[in-house]
Amino acid sequence: MNTLILAIKNIFKNRRRTVITFLAITSGMTGLIVFGGYMEFTFMGLRESTIRTQLGHVQVAKKGYFEKGLANPGKYLIRESESVERVLARMPEVKLVTSRLTFSGLISTGERTLSCKGFGINVAEESAGDMNTFETVVDGQQLDESTGPGDGVVGVELMKALGAKVGDYLTLLTTTIDGTMNALEFKVVGVAETGSKEYDSVFVKLPLPFVKRLVNCNAVEKFMVLLNDTDDLGKATKRINGLLATDLQGMEYRTWSELADFYLKVERLYRGIFDIIIFIVGVIVLFSIANTITMSVFERTREIGTLRAIGTTRLGTMRLFLTEGILIGIIGGIIGVVVGIMVAYAINFSGGIYVPPPPGQNRGYLAMVLIVPQVILYAFASIVGVSALSSLYPSFKASRLKIVEALHHI
Amino acid sequence: MIELRDVTKDYRLGETTVQALRGVTLHIKEGDFVSVCGPSGSGKSTLLNLLGCLDMPTSGMVLLMEKDVADFRDSELSRLRNNTIGFIFQSFNLIPVLTSFENVEYPLLISKTGKKERKQMVARMLDEVGLSKFAKHKPDQLSGGQRQRVAIARALVTNPRVVLADEPTANLDSATGHEILELMKKMNEDHRTTFIFSTHDAKIRGYASDVYTISDGRIVQ
Ligand SMILES: Nc1ncnc2c1ncn2[C@@H]1O[C@H](COP(=O)(O)OP(=O)(O)OP(=O)(O)O)[C@@H](O)[C@H]1O
Ligand SMILES: [Mg+2]
Repeated sequence: MNTLILAIKNIFKNRRRTVITFLAITSGMTGLIVFGGYMEFTFMGLRESTIRTQLGHVQVAKKGYFEKGLANPGKYLIRESESVERVLARMPEVKLVTSRLTFSGLISTGERTLSCKGFGINVAEESAGDMNTFETVVDGQQLDESTGPGDGVVGVELMKALGAKVGDYLTLLTTTIDGTMNALEFKVVGVAETGSKEYDSVFVKLPLPFVKRLVNCNAVEKFMVLLNDTDDLGKATKRINGLLATDLQGMEYRTWSELADFYLKVERLYRGIFDIIIFIVGVIVLFSIANTITMSVFERTREIGTLRAIGTTRLGTMRLFLTEGILIGIIGGIIGVVVGIMVAYAINFSGGIYVPPPPGQNRGYLAMVLIVPQVILYAFASIVGVSALSSLYPSFKASRLKIVEALHHI
Repeated sequence: MIELRDVTKDYRLGETTVQALRGVTLHIKEGDFVSVCGPSGSGKSTLLNLLGCLDMPTSGMVLLMEKDVADFRDSELSRLRNNTIGFIFQSFNLIPVLTSFENVEYPLLISKTGKKERKQMVARMLDEVGLSKFAKHKPDQLSGGQRQRVAIARALVTNPRVVLADEPTANLDSATGHEILELMKKMNEDHRTTFIFSTHDAKIRGYASDVYTISDGRIVQ
């Protein structure tokens, strides 16, 4: 107790030095909070867009599909699709269930032919559940109630490469489920952009019945289940686990995180960068607190001698300076949290940070700074940990001073 | 109560060795008011440091209440200094950030004395040195004499067996110096606490019941 009081009094004795130390900690903390919050915003955006437009929260397919289905989708087709869809749609957490049937083949204007990847969607459900907001329609329109059964949307890069325009009729060529060739014509009603150039140069989006006709099979490959809230995922998978034994025998499921390879890679990369930044800030804080405590020990050498003479143990002496260092870390950390949150609010209030298009994408965006308790706690704990670490050595030195020599120090 | 047996103390200064004490034997009895006198550099401080267990002799024995202090561990020496020895320094050595009250209280915090008892002891001690009104003052708001009074209160608050004072009046004017010696003498009589102080001031020496004169590391009288 007296250690704490003495430490506080000594911290505020040398105001200027303390303020400089706090400044270092506070700017470091602010940096961490803003970057961490920006990072979380990016995760959230990427996560939600990945889920809502590409993967759904949960995908359900025939057992084995997720491992071997890509090479041979014909083997894992779900023919009893309506009953499965009904079972899934009955779950209370579910917003919408849609299915996919994909194919790869060629797309042709008659003059020019390119390869493409097509997929069929349930137009009515998906447009009602805004599953297609991921893509931005740059020309024409999205597939919705107003479009016909033979209308499709094509990726912007693919359109450019084909030299086609909205309203053109294009031919799709692929092998059917039983191995014969089939060709069907569709009308381009829209051109869309997803942000990924690679994807934009291959995708063709069509109504599911059209794709069923093209590959000559009345089945789907997988179901995509979209929940009302990403936080409901645990509840939903629990329920599906129960259903696997009854209504969904012979099926399996994957959650979005098991399928979102790209998202997980991005997250790992960012977290790695965040740790490096924490490390750099940590080193700065380390030196600044170590410097403060070393100066404090030096200035108060005679006081240390006195304290030792009147009976303070070595451990007690060490504790005194250690407390001082940790306290600087804690107080500086708290100021840093407050300032960091204020800066984050200021950034959000002013409209966010403009981020230029990331590699492989063609759209920039405005990033907000999310205030995430875990990030703040992580940054705070790191700073306090560093402050303890940095005062360890000078405190130890203080406790080992020879009393007589310390008393003679001017 | 405190005994030195043929104590020497050498300081190494690079290549050379300074022999600060060259075989000192003395015995100080309980309740004595002892002065150690001698010119500058004669070894007074060195002697008091050894008596106060702040340093260890190069050879010989320091006995505190019949026990050889060389046998104690550092933590035990700390406890010993806290309980049985009081210190008064030439330049007062108060903790600048603490008030008079808190300075006097500090040794009791180290010994983990209960709060109520502690507050009483500190108040009584400040009263004895005549500084009750200055309990809330910080050292830099006090005069030299007042500071030394706080230091005396701090040295005596744990009710030690012996108080060591290395030139307690050297930083004070002569009138204040006499007051401080009067106070120490009074404390010696009231509490039966042994006092050992060093000085090179012949007038101050007069307060002592026993005078050891030291010259060039040896007791000469
Ligand atoms: N830490 C030290 N290192 C080296 N030599 C020292 C040290 N402390 C004291 N000495 C030497 O030991 C001798 C005795 O010193 P000491 O301080 O005991 O004398 P003193 O009688 O207290 O003198 P003063 O009246 O000036 O305080 C001196 O020659 C001094 O230079
Ligand atoms: Mg001296």
